[in-house]
Amino acid sequence: MSLKSRERAVGVSLQHLHKDFADKVALEDVNLEIEPGTFLVLLGPSGSGKTTLLRCLAGIERPTSGEITIGGTVVASARAFVPPERRGLAMVFQDYALWPHLSVRKNVAYPLRTSSRAKSQRDERVDDLLERVGIAHLAERFPNQLSGGEQQRVALARALAADAGLILFDEPLSNLDADRRDQLRVEIATLTRATGATVVYITHDQSEAFALADRVGVLNQGRLVQIDTPEAIYRSPANAFVARFTGVAGEFPVTVVDECGPAHYEVALPFAPDERIEALALERFEPGDSMSLFVRAAGVSLAVTGSAKGTHGTILDVAFTSRGYEHVVSVGEGATLSKVFAPTRFDRGSRVQVCFDASSCFVMDPTKGK
Amino acid sequence: MSLVSQLMATSSPSGLDAKRRFSLGGVAIWVVLALLIIAPVMSFLILAVSPRAFQQGSQWFTLRFVSEAFRGYTGRGIADSLWVSTLVSVLAVGLATTLAWLIHRTNVLGRRVWSIAMWILLIMPSWMMTLGWTDLLQPFGAAHALGINTRWIYGEFFGPFGIIIVLTTVALPFAYFIVSAGLQGLGPEYEDAARIHGASRTRMLRTVLPIIAPALLSAIAISFAETMSDFGVAFTLGYHSHFPLATYTLFSAISTYPANFSVAAVIAVVLILSTIPLIALQSKVMRSRSYAVLSGRTRSVRRREFRRGPRIAATLGVSLFFFIVLGVPILGALVGSFVENLGIYSARGVHFTLTYYQQVLSPSIGGKSLGAPLIESNQLGLVVASCTGVLAVVLARRLVASSGGWSQRVTDVFLLGSVAVPGVVLGVGYIFFYNLSFITHNVINIYKTLPLLMLALVASSLPGQTRFMAGPVSQIQPSLNEAARVHGAGRLRAWQTTNLPLMSRILLWGWLLTFTKTISELAIAQILYPPSQEPASVTIQAYLANLQPGTGTAMTVLTLLEMLGVIVVAMFLYRLLTPRGWRRVGWSGVQS
Repeated sequence: MSLKSRERAVGVSLQHLHKDFADKVALEDVNLEIEPGTFLVLLGPSGSGKTTLLRCLAGIERPTSGEITIGGTVVASARAFVPPERRGLAMVFQDYALWPHLSVRKNVAYPLRTSSRAKSQRDERVDDLLERVGIAHLAERFPNQLSGGEQQRVALARALAADAGLILFDEPLSNLDADRRDQLRVEIATLTRATGATVVYITHDQSEAFALADRVGVLNQGRLVQIDTPEAIYRSPANAFVARFTGVAGEFPVTVVDECGPAHYEVALPFAPDERIEALALERFEPGDSMSLFVRAAGVSLAVTGSAKGTHGTILDVAFTSRGYEHVVSVGEGATLSKVFAPTRFDRGSRVQVCFDASSCFVMDPTKGK
Repeated sequence: MSLVSQLMATSSPSGLDAKRRFSLGGVAIWVVLALLIIAPVMSFLILAVSPRAFQQGSQWFTLRFVSEAFRGYTGRGIADSLWVSTLVSVLAVGLATTLAWLIHRTNVLGRRVWSIAMWILLIMPSWMMTLGWTDLLQPFGAAHALGINTRWIYGEFFGPFGIIIVLTTVALPFAYFIVSAGLQGLGPEYEDAARIHGASRTRMLRTVLPIIAPALLSAIAISFAETMSDFGVAFTLGYHSHFPLATYTLFSAISTYPANFSVAAVIAVVLILSTIPLIALQSKVMRSRSYAVLSGRTRSVRRREFRRGPRIAATLGVSLFFFIVLGVPILGALVGSFVENLGIYSARGVHFTLTYYQQVLSPSIGGKSLGAPLIESNQLGLVVASCTGVLAVVLARRLVASSGGWSQRVTDVFLLGSVAVPGVVLGVGYIFFYNLSFITHNVINIYKTLPLLMLALVASSLPGQTRFMAGPVSQIQPSLNEAARVHGAGRLRAWQTTNLPLMSRILLWGWLLTFTKTISELAIAQILYPPSQEPASVTIQAYLANLQPGTGTAMTVLTLLEMLGVIVVAMFLYRLLTPRGWRRVGWSGVQS
């Protein structure tokens, strides 16, 4: 049965999803529930299985085992496999996948050709979509006459034209330059949310993920290691991999000194054994355990030497950003912190005090989640 | 067998239903390939060492025919073919690289015309080229009629010199299209990087040219294979020059009484084995290093802008070249078809006549008119080109699929190897295999019928056509089909609306190429035509061999015109009937 007639914003469920290719396991026991209307971003490095997961959802790949349910209908299981054209979804491809022999208008109208609307209504819909994505003036052009950003807008309009309950995005911004990426990211967020559809969006860029998502799922080596709101992922990473992949300013070996509160520990840096740093922990440690300290850039501040309590550091590099300065700071032999923000500039080679905020420091077992 | 293009297949089509495609498609394809190529060829080749296998002798195993084949007339044929093919492949690739660079990478005038000329050269069979040159240069031939003395070159032409010239022009387009594809993928950034880092023009060329090494190696391999397996020149110019080539000595071994099939089989084995090292080397080079230079960031090629003087000189050079390789033989045949007593001394001097064209329609001295054989050839062309087209698309998709595993690799190697199987070997193989009582009684009984000739012609065209399609098929991003499926198109509609338009131009060209090659095919037709249904190429050869060169030449001219006419009409209909978008895209090698 076609899903097209269903209400927009469908729920999606993945149960024990497993996908093998000839020489590797791409997905391993992935379980996932997506509420209708959620904008879910799947975040992971290359080879983590996010593209495979998206292609399984689309019906382009058949899972080796497990079950996929879209809008209450099982679309992939040991017994059933609904082909992509009958899943009632839309997709924006990484390489845009615009048909080069069709004009912009015909590319966007493609999903409407099987709909029951009258031609005039379809034309109206296409005009409206082209207007909304800002390329109405390019309607009669062919894809090779467009820039990368314009091509991606066509792909977005085509996905929206399908009126689908589920829209999939396969790293849609990865081929664009920084300016266009920011601009299109906002448009994707607003236009898709306006449709009310459920969205599954994959990327390897954590800032893109945090900017777009209602919920973020982090994939590593074919496994879904954490799924939560962007804030929770950032503040409470499930393991060292999630912490690293969602951005840390530095990672140092530390020794656990003592527990200083619920889920809080005091740790000592090997290169500054007299200093104590307070950090969060999601598991229990014993004094003397050798662990790693992960520090978010937001949890580090710089001060002039002697003006505050903190670890001594030396500025290795400084870069101007529109809001202030980002510094690379050496805090000991082989231990550096990067992207440390300060509104004022500290010159290269100058000595500073480095202050750590406990809420952005995590003590973890570095081998977990590798 | 023809291999038109050795384009590199790198990407994969959709992952949709890969497993099902493997299980069903794999078996079906190998059954078809076994019946079309493997079984017929093997049943002939086995005679080289086991004549008793097909009642051609008393021994189950002997090496007697191997030593026999390398002695005397047949031994000379093998030696001649080897050195001539080596020389021709080097000459053809050298010329092809120069022409491809001039046409694709400079502002030489008439680039579109030269590309079309190369396509015409591609469809010209080698025996037609030979005929044109012969009509022109022979005593009392077309040149004599035009008042040009050609005695000084006549003796030279009927020997290795002439054979090398004609075979080079035959191999040239194959090499040209392969090298052109390589050059088009060679973006200007490689030249820029070398020069920015201090390379002189010579060093820059030494740095950049290896990037197209696989294309050059492919071109050499294919030129060598094409030359080794050519029958048209061996059957005409080689025979008349008393310069035996292996394909002719093979044909001679089976067509003279008593036939010696085992010696013929040894020659066939030599013909096939001789091309394997080059093909294997090319295949190894392709696998060992990555030569993928086409990406989304590859900028379009930059042409070298010649100034006025060099530009005119280069244009004149290319014009002169095409005049010699294409214009001269066509002119020779055309003028020859109007010269009274062509090739014969006449006390009345030179007169032009339309007699030959009248005899084409109603022969005065017995023999057949061209009408029925030409219709026969067109019907053959229609069926063979259509069947080959469908099979080639299926095979090409399989060839570039990422999920095929060992089966895909075996298909790839098999199709490459099949290029080295000459038509004459395939023809003889068909006689043996489809005449087996087991086959005629239990599988199919088509011996001495037109369907057998059709099957052999499909088998002959299929490997080349598949490789020809593999390049364009691999260039179609799988995501285009996937996007169609995801946005509601079923399997068939997705193919019709995305793949078909993108492949339409190459499908048309592939069809036309097989169609014209089938009409002019000589080796298989000569061996397998049913007695009362001879195709045009056989009829023409019969006239030429029976001292009626004028009529044979007129028939050749009309056949060539008909072939060109079909191409023009097909292209016109394509323009007329296809949407604008279809014509905007297509294989760059065809467009350029």
